[in-house]
Amino acid sequence: MAEEKKLFKVKIDNISVEVEPGTTILNAARQIGGEIVPPAMCYYSKLQGSGGKCRTCLVKVSKGSDADPRPMPKLVASCRTTVMDGMEVSNITSPEVLEARKGVVEFLLLNHPLDCPVCDQAGECHLQDLSYEHGADSTRYEFKRRTFDKVDLGDKIKLHMTRCILCYRCVYTADQLTEKREHGILGRGDASEISTYISQSLDNDFIGNVIDVCPVGALTDQTFRFKNRVWFLKPVDAHRDCENPKCCGKTVLWMRGNEVFRVTARKDKYGEVEAFICDTCRFDKKDVKDWIIEGPRKIERNSVISQGHYVNTVKPKDALVEVLDGRQPKLLFDIHSESQVNRPDIDLSKIHGPAHSDDFKK
Amino acid sequence: MGRKLLLDKAHIEGIRYYDTYRSNGGYAAAEKALKTMGPDAVLEEVKKSGLRGRGGAGFPTGLKWSFIAKPEGVPRYLVCNADESEPGTFKDRYLMEFIPHLLIEGLIISSFTLGANSAYIYIRGEYAWIPDILEQAIAEAKNKGWLGKNILGTGFDLEIYVQRGAGAYICGEETALIESLEGKRGNPRIKPPFPAVKGLWQCPTVVNNVETLAAVVPIINIGGDEYIKYGTGKSTGTKLISACGNINKPGVYEIEMNISVEEFIYSDEYCGGIKNNKRLKACIPGGSSVPVLPANLLLKTAKGETRMMTYESLADGGFATGSMLGSGGFIVMDEDQCIVRNTLTFARFYHHESCGQCSPCREGTGWMEKVLKNIEYGKGKMSDIDLLWDIQRKIEGNTICPLGDAAAWPVAAAIRHFRDEFEWHVAHPQEALTRNFGLAHYADPLPAPVAAV
Repeated sequence: MAEEKKLFKVKIDNISVEVEPGTTILNAARQIGGEIVPPAMCYYSKLQGSGGKCRTCLVKVSKGSDADPRPMPKLVASCRTTVMDGMEVSNITSPEVLEARKGVVEFLLLNHPLDCPVCDQAGECHLQDLSYEHGADSTRYEFKRRTFDKVDLGDKIKLHMTRCILCYRCVYTADQLTEKREHGILGRGDASEISTYISQSLDNDFIGNVIDVCPVGALTDQTFRFKNRVWFLKPVDAHRDCENPKCCGKTVLWMRGNEVFRVTARKDKYGEVEAFICDTCRFDKKDVKDWIIEGPRKIERNSVISQGHYVNTVKPKDALVEVLDGRQPKLLFDIHSESQVNRPDIDLSKIHGPAHSDDFKK
Repeated sequence: MGRKLLLDKAHIEGIRYYDTYRSNGGYAAAEKALKTMGPDAVLEEVKKSGLRGRGGAGFPTGLKWSFIAKPEGVPRYLVCNADESEPGTFKDRYLMEFIPHLLIEGLIISSFTLGANSAYIYIRGEYAWIPDILEQAIAEAKNKGWLGKNILGTGFDLEIYVQRGAGAYICGEETALIESLEGKRGNPRIKPPFPAVKGLWQCPTVVNNVETLAAVVPIINIGGDEYIKYGTGKSTGTKLISACGNINKPGVYEIEMNISVEEFIYSDEYCGGIKNNKRLKACIPGGSSVPVLPANLLLKTAKGETRMMTYESLADGGFATGSMLGSGGFIVMDEDQCIVRNTLTFARFYHHESCGQCSPCREGTGWMEKVLKNIEYGKGKMSDIDLLWDIQRKIEGNTICPLGDAAAWPVAAAIRHFRDEFEWHVAHPQEALTRNFGLAHYADPLPAPVAAV
């Protein structure tokens, strides 16, 4: 008996949308798009069971469904609440939701070190965006922040637990993507931490993806750490024939000139990867020759990364030849060959202290 | 003397053992339920009795049982929540220690009603000696044919397992308990799905408190119609109250839910009055998570009525002027107790017990504790009181499980009713270190209620 699929009508912030039964409120909102999409720090559509923990996506259900129009008594996590036919949800139209979200952002930032100036995630950090959009301009917390020691999880991944917001994404990633989960949560309450027990290294073909799913700078790429700021880099889509059958081989190279600084999976506008990539692609293929470049990656306009203006850049034209009616400028005097101090054989960086004319004596 | 249903035979020597329990009318209810009644009749009887969950929330048990999904070929489970960890609550411990067979009998009847062939007793790890008592009782019952295969020739099979927790308050939350029972980290699950649909090992599960399950036995014995004659209104039957604090006779009392709070505290049958003839300052009537009430609001509701020991009366006035019966952890505080310190103790507890899964509770509980510590130790500011209020408001209702609410409510109630004491602590930091605020006006008669216009 082939039943015709019935779509559920949902109203989010007075915008109607029809979605399939079983869709969550968050995903219904994403189908509408725009401002009314609740932020999500822990939900990750590619990871089963994720979500519900950070509470930033709280929304108000002002009407449960057509069948049962009662409103839900509390704010609900939109990433884990499925829609009902005729449901009415308010997100940014509800002051209560905005107030609660502001509270959640404050809680998330309570123990966060706010070391963005030295954090590799800065520029692509969800917590940065979230606090910019929903947070207060100062903190009311007057106590010492919680800190942890930095841990090397193998030679490729650095865990900086102090920055972690315990979204559990990396745990789900390791659980569902890799063959053997090697890390989880230790401790409880605000003393809980992501750990491998006795700092064992994470060693698995796909474990590098925990870096991509981490919404903050708690898990960073050791091969990229402190090498560059992301907004100075040019993201280009690239692919290669990866030997690993589970890897899609489609990545983003973050380049400066012809140098590949890092490789990540391709992320959509919600910061979720399109497909996971293997560790060989991520950590070992740092040569532009390994890749087939497809072109610049489109970055959301509001992202700081797009401030690099790398798309459609035009090289400045040398106007001199044109002005001289096509004649090449004549070199009158080559200052470099005449200069006494232009001595390529003397390496300035090896001179102790500032250079002195004595250093250039023949 | 109030009538008793659960502890009426608790004083009999050797009631812990099967023979004594059986010869005093034990297992008659199980026999009646299994042989003559059948599951539907038992469910009907429990519904009729109006029995409400004794674990704290007070949800009607019959209704809860009727929610259980019954898909074909999927086992159903009954889980007994014996993870009694709420500060101030110790009633289940008494039941399990002294009359374990009452619980076993309740489990048999309830499992039979729900069609569950396995029942689990999840007991808190700190009750280290009780699993032995329970397991002995289970072995006795099994020997006598009350457990195992084909019980009483009815074709109903049941096994009861005792599982110890590892010392986490959060595992008293039903979904965290299920996770823990499955051998995982005790993190509460996100609901829905509710345990009645997907609980233990993704199968339909009912989680009930020890006392609730035990109360099923007298209901079957005397019938639902008789049971509602105990108590008042929707608070039917009897309730175990574990009384503690500054009273003359702390302990576990079974009360019929038709006595007043004042009678409970001052009568010789129950608490026997405040210790050393001091005056009553405040009371937490239902375990640490429910709002604290000052003496005047405790004995009389805001409407001027006498407050009774019932679900409804204690909740009268909502959280503005009322509290909750909760799990029955009755904590009495005399005039020399410091509310700020008491609130700090609870805040520390909830900070320690937060599972850390969702952000408001993980971060907020610790923050409240630190702010309260400052106020208690003379480093507070006036703005801290408003800050505390704001923090608790942002935790409450925004978390996955009720632990966030449970952490927020005591702080909210303390500030709501005892704000002067907080302000005194801030204004007199040195004095606050050496003496307490005292009774102040907290026992003064309430202003006469304004007639509704």
